[in-house]
Amino acid sequence: MRFSGTLLTALVISLSAAALPGARAQDSDTPVTPASGEQGLAEWEGIHAVFAHPRCANCHVEDDQPRWSGESYGKTRVHAFNVRRGEDGFGNAGLRCSTCHSEENSAVLHGPPGAHAWHLAPAEMVWFDKSSAEICAQIKDPERNGGRSLEEVANHVRDDALVAWGWNPGPGREPAPGSAEETFAAIERWAAAGAPCPEE
Amino acid sequence: MNLTVDGKSIEIDADPEMPLLWALRDIAGILGPKFGCGIAACGACTVLIDGSPVRSCVLPVGQVEGAVTTIEGISSPAGLHPVQQAWLDEQVSQCGYCQAGQIMTAVALLEEIADPTDEDIDNAMGGNLCRCGTYPKIRAAIHRAASLKLARS
Repeated sequence: MRFSGTLLTALVISLSAAALPGARAQDSDTPVTPASGEQGLAEWEGIHAVFAHPRCANCHVEDDQPRWSGESYGKTRVHAFNVRRGEDGFGNAGLRCSTCHSEENSAVLHGPPGAHAWHLAPAEMVWFDKSSAEICAQIKDPERNGGRSLEEVANHVRDDALVAWGWNPGPGREPAPGSAEETFAAIERWAAAGAPCPEE
Repeated sequence: MNLTVDGKSIEIDADPEMPLLWALRDIAGILGPKFGCGIAACGACTVLIDGSPVRSCVLPVGQVEGAVTTIEGISSPAGLHPVQQAWLDEQVSQCGYCQAGQIMTAVALLEEIADPTDEDIDNAMGGNLCRCGTYPKIRAAIHRAASLKLARS
């Protein structure tokens, strides 16, 4: 991922907003107030609960195999059928993600889930099997978050169709906690609080 | 709705949520694609949409955008598709139920990778199950088909 000076500036501005009384997260209508590091960490715990949830983390893997894990799946396994990341994250020749995953969830129990542009997150955006501190550091690092400011991370969580699937995963799968809007707001509050990360 | 299937225009009067496989088999009378599991877990129903493989048992017909190609549409007046020919040459089939899906995935693979390695084949074919266990013959047939296809081109 490209690291741009503009994005770094945006990140610094976003983080600096925490020091301003009555500050708002950039381009957001959600009012934010200065919060202590403790409050920021509490916000992070809620955000981490979403990012580390199997509906999200199963496709944020370091290697090239998505996982099947979580309450709905029992023992953690790699995705069946020898499914692999492929060069573009959308699978391999002959077995693309879209071979089975369409634009919507299958209504049949154990049928494949679906959402627009089903694919693996880039390998540098790894959450699966990572600690809260590791995920926190990753999400703040534009080199490992898709070149996003924290505001852009929040918007991505609120607006992306594939992210939204985590809260609407289809029959038989436990959804991620909360909602996209709640997670968006939590990221804004966390950023306004200085985006603190837990220690290892 | 109107579908293009194996080069022909077909009118489908069905609920858009109906799986494409049902539309093909029960409405269009195209029986080559097979029902296996109904949850995209076996590959017997595989067809191509604009050249990309999809499991027709789970794809709502209303979501189909592009030309559908089934096992019934890959040969030409000049003869069998190289993958079909290789399947015969290698005597791949045992019961044969999965072969329509296997062949369609192999066709898609060879369109993207003209001379695939064993790893390429494994990465492509992992979602097409064969309960007779003909996997070594499937792999051999794909290598043979690649040679046939390259020889014809």
